Amino acid sequence: MEKQLELLQGTLDMLILKAVSLSPLHGYGILLRIQQISKERLEIQQGSLYPALYRLEHHGWITSEWGESDNKRRARYYRLTPAGKRRLQSEAERWNQMTSVIAGILRATPEEL
Amino acid sequence: MSLWARFRSWTAAMLRRGRMEQDMDVEISFHIEVHASELASRGVPRREALRQARLEFGGIEATKQECRDAVGVTFLETLMQDVRHGVRAMLRTPVFSLTTLVVLSLGIGANTAIFSVVDAVVLRPLAYRDSGRLVTILMDGQSPVSVANYIDWRDQSRCFAAMGAADYWSPNLTGVDSPEHITGLKVTENLFPVLGVDPLLGRWFVEGEDKVGADREGILSYQLWQRRFSSDPTILGKTILLDGNAYSVVGVMPQGFQFAPFWATKAELWVPNAFGERIHNRGGNSLRIFARLNEGVSLAQARAEIAAITARLERQYPGTNRDVVVTPLKEKVVGPIETPLLVLLGAVAFVLLITCANVAHMLLARAATRQKEVAVRAALGARRGRIVRQFLAESLLLGSLGGVAGLGLALIATRALIAISPSNIPRVQTVSIDLRAAVFLVLATILTSVGFGLAPALQASAINVNDTLKEGGRNNSDGIRRNRLRSLLVISEFALALMLLIGAGLMIRTFASLQSVDAGFNPHNVVSMVVSVAGSQEADPGRRLIFYQQLLERVRALPGVQAAGAINHLPLAGDLWGWTFAIEGRPKSRPGESPSAVYRMVTPGYFAAMRLPIIRGRDVSNDDGVTAPGVVIINERAANAYWPGEDPIGKRISFDDDKADSPTWLTIIGIAKNAKQGDWTATPDPEVYLAALQNHDFLGDSGSDIASHVAYITLVARTVGDPAAVAPAMKQAAWSFDRNLAIAQVVTMDEVVAETNAQPRFEMLLLTIFAAIALVLAVVGVYGVISYSASQRTHEIGVRMSLGASRGDVLLLVVRQGMWLTFAGCVAGLAGALLLSRLMTKLLFGVQPTDPATFLAVASGLGLVALLACYIPARRAMRIDPMVALRYE
Repeated sequence: MEKQLELLQGTLDMLILKAVSLSPLHGYGILLRIQQISKERLEIQQGSLYPALYRLEHHGWITSEWGESDNKRRARYYRLTPAGKRRLQSEAERWNQMTSVIAGILRATPEEL
Repeated sequence: MSLWARFRSWTAAMLRRGRMEQDMDVEISFHIEVHASELASRGVPRREALRQARLEFGGIEATKQECRDAVGVTFLETLMQDVRHGVRAMLRTPVFSLTTLVVLSLGIGANTAIFSVVDAVVLRPLAYRDSGRLVTILMDGQSPVSVANYIDWRDQSRCFAAMGAADYWSPNLTGVDSPEHITGLKVTENLFPVLGVDPLLGRWFVEGEDKVGADREGILSYQLWQRRFSSDPTILGKTILLDGNAYSVVGVMPQGFQFAPFWATKAELWVPNAFGERIHNRGGNSLRIFARLNEGVSLAQARAEIAAITARLERQYPGTNRDVVVTPLKEKVVGPIETPLLVLLGAVAFVLLITCANVAHMLLARAATRQKEVAVRAALGARRGRIVRQFLAESLLLGSLGGVAGLGLALIATRALIAISPSNIPRVQTVSIDLRAAVFLVLATILTSVGFGLAPALQASAINVNDTLKEGGRNNSDGIRRNRLRSLLVISEFALALMLLIGAGLMIRTFASLQSVDAGFNPHNVVSMVVSVAGSQEADPGRRLIFYQQLLERVRALPGVQAAGAINHLPLAGDLWGWTFAIEGRPKSRPGESPSAVYRMVTPGYFAAMRLPIIRGRDVSNDDGVTAPGVVIINERAANAYWPGEDPIGKRISFDDDKADSPTWLTIIGIAKNAKQGDWTATPDPEVYLAALQNHDFLGDSGSDIASHVAYITLVARTVGDPAAVAPAMKQAAWSFDRNLAIAQVVTMDEVVAETNAQPRFEMLLLTIFAAIALVLAVVGVYGVISYSASQRTHEIGVRMSLGASRGDVLLLVVRQGMWLTFAGCVAGLAGALLLSRLMTKLLFGVQPTDPATFLAVASGLGLVALLACYIPARRAMRIDPMVALRYE
C-alpha cells in the first residue's frame, strides 16, 4: 500500500459533494466511498467529516434524512441538492483549472521562459 | 447560499437545540460502531476494535463543537452570554442602571408619542379613496363661494372627475329624548362619490335628490347613529326630525369617517343640498367646493383651467370670481399644523440626542471603572471585536429595556397629548401607538442604543493591557482622551439644550404677547350658550320676539347675573358672516368694491354683558323695536374705513339696496370699540351690529333664506362670581319655556379665549417640557464630567496645594474647566439657534425668531445653572487635604 496523502486544505467539501452525488450515503459511507475511489490513498481525519457535512447542509448544498442502514440501524443519509449539484460543478471546474495551471508551472523549463 | 436556507438552518438549530445534540450523538456513535464492527470482522477483538475506532475518529467533543459552529449556534450562545453578562453588570450598579433606564425611556417614549401624533396628523393620507387626487376650491384659499359660481365651474371644467359642494347646517334633532343641536352639512348629491367612502349601511344620495322636495333624506355618522339611535340596525328608512321637519335615513357612514376635514369638522349628519332659487345667486357665498382630479391631470393643469374659467366669469360678472384658489385637500387640512408639529418632532429628537449623549458619558465614566475587567478579559484572549460586542450587547439591553418602558410611557403620553391638544388639530382622534409607531420605537431604540453605546465600547476596548494591569497603574493620556470625548458630549448637550430652551423661551414670549392682546371686551366672568328654537313651539315667527325678550328678562333676574344680552354669533367662537352694504348718498360702488363688514345682530344688554365699550353714541335699546326706525352700531374700524374724517353717527346704510324699490335704511347710532372677531392676532375688520329684535331675519318672519339660518340666539351673561356656576340656572330658565329648546356650546368667554390660543399654548407647553428635560440632562452631564474629572485630579490638586496653591486657586481651576465647557456649548447652541429658530417663525407672535433678549436671557440663565453645577464639585475639590490627596491613588 502506498503512503497515504494528506488531504489538501479545502478539498474535503468537494469530495463529499462528489461522493453523495453518486448515491445518498451516511457519514461513514461517505468516508468509505472516498477511500474506495481514491484506492485508499487519501487520509481523511474521520472527525473532520461531520463539521463539513453540517456546514454543507447549512449552506443548502446537501440535505439529510434519517433512514435504516444495512445492519438495521438508524443512520442519517445525505443527498445532493440541485444547489449542491451546481456547486460541485463549479468547484470541479475551478479545481481542474487550478491543477492544469499549477501543473503547467511545474513543467516549465528554462527554455520556455 | 440563499438567505432563506441560512435562516432556516439557523432557526432549526436554535429551536431544536436539544434535537441537534441528540442527532449528533446518534450519528457519531453510529459511525464509530460501524467502523468498529468492520475492524472486528477483520479479526480485531471487539474491545480493541471499539478503542481503535474511537481513536481514529478523533476528539468527539471538539467535533461536536465544530458542528455547532458550522450552523452558527455559537453566535447565539455568545449573544446569550453577553446578555447574561450585561444583566449582571446592570444589577451590580442598580442606581446607574435605573437612572439610565429612566432617561432612556423618557427620550424614547416622548419621541414615539410625538411621532405617532405627527404620523397620524401629517404623514398619513386622508381617509378617502385615492385622497391624493382630492382638491378644494375656495376664494383666497379659504372663503366659501356662491352657488352660481360652483355650477359654472362644475359644468365648464374638464380636469375634474367630479365636483361637489357643501354648506354648513346645524339643525336641531328633536323627537328623541332631549333635543340636540347637531352639526351637519348640506351636500350636493355627487359629494360622497367624490370622496369614495362606502357607507356602512344603506347608500349615498342618488341623482335628483338635491332637488327641492326630494331632499328630505339624511345620512348619519357612526357616532350619531350610536349615540342617538343606539346603533339601530333597522334605522334605514326610518324618519328623524330635524328642525321639526321629517327626514328619512338612507345611510350610515362607517366609524372614523369624517367630513368635512378642515371646517365643520364635527359634522355628524349629511343631507342633500337643494339649491332651488339659489342657482342664480352670485352673492351669497356659503359653499365649499370639493373635487377629484381626473386620472393623469396635474394640479397645475387644474389650476390653469379654473383660472381661465374664473377669468371669463369675472369679465361677465365683475367682482364675483377673483382669487379663486385650487388647493390639494391634504394641504388644506394639514398645512396649518404641519410646521408646529414638525418643530415639535425636531425638538423631541433633540431631547433624544441629549439623552444619548448623557447616557454615553455615563457609560464612559463607568467604562473607566471597568478598565481592569476589560484588561483581564483581553489578557485571557478576548479579541477586541468580542469586547466591543459585549459592551454593545449591554447597551442594547439597556436600550431595549428603555424601549419597553418608553412604550408604556408613549401609550400614556399619546393619551395625554390627545387630551391637551387644541381642537383645531385635524385627525388627532386617530392618533394611536400602532404598527408604524412601534416600528419607529424599535428603530429609535436600536439607533439610540448604538448611538450611546458605540463610543464607550470602542474606548473601553482600546486599552493597554500591560499598563492597566500593573498594580496602581494610572494611564493619564488615556484618561485625557476619554475626558476629551466626554467634554465633547457635554458641549453638544449644552448646545442642544440651549437651542431647546431658546425655542421654549420664544414660545413663552409669544404666549405672553398673546395674553396681553386686548380683545376689546372683557372676557372674564362671562358665560354664553346657544339656545336654538328650531323644532320647538317658540320657532313660530310670531312668538320669537316675545320669547327672546322674556328669556333675557328671566336670565337677568337670575341670582349672580349682572347683565345679559344676546348675539347671533359669539366673537371668536361662532360663525363669521360678512356682508356688503351701501352708504346712503354715495354713488353705487363698482361690483366687488362695495363696503363690507362682519355682520352681527345683538339685543339690548349685549355690550354691557361683554363690557364692550360704546365709544360714541348709544347702545341699542328696547325702544328699537320692529316698528321703530332701523338702527345699527358700527365698530371703530368701520368708522375709520368708510367715514374717514366724518362723523358716521346719524348716517344711514343699507344691506338690501339691490331691492331698488324699498331698501331698508339703518341709521348708525353708535360706534363700538373694535372687538376680536375670528382670529385672535388679526386686526379686526369693519363690523356692524344690527338690532336683533327689529330684524325680521332674526325674528323668523322675513321669509328669506337667511331666516332659517338664524333660528337661534347666543345668550351672553356677565356674572358676579364663577360664570360656569350660573350656566345650569340659565339652561333651566330657557327650558322653563319649552323642553324642546336645544341648548349647545355652553362656554365661558375665558374658555373661548383660551381655546383661541390653544395651539400656541400646546406648543409652548410641549417645548417647555422638552427644554426642561434637556436642561436637567445637560446640568447632570456637566456636573458628572466636572466631579469625575475633579476626583481624577485629586492627586494633582494635592500637589498644587502643597506647592502653595490657595483654596481659591483650586476652586477656580475646577470651575474654569466647567465654564469652558458651558461657554463652548453656549456658543454652539446660540449659533444653532440662530440658524434654526427661523423655522419657528410661523409659531411666533409679537417676538422675532432671533429675539436678542430671549437669546441672552436663556444663555446667561443656562450659564448660571451650569456654574452652580460646577461649584459643587469645585467646593469638594477645594476642601481636599493635601496630605490625604498625595497618598490618594
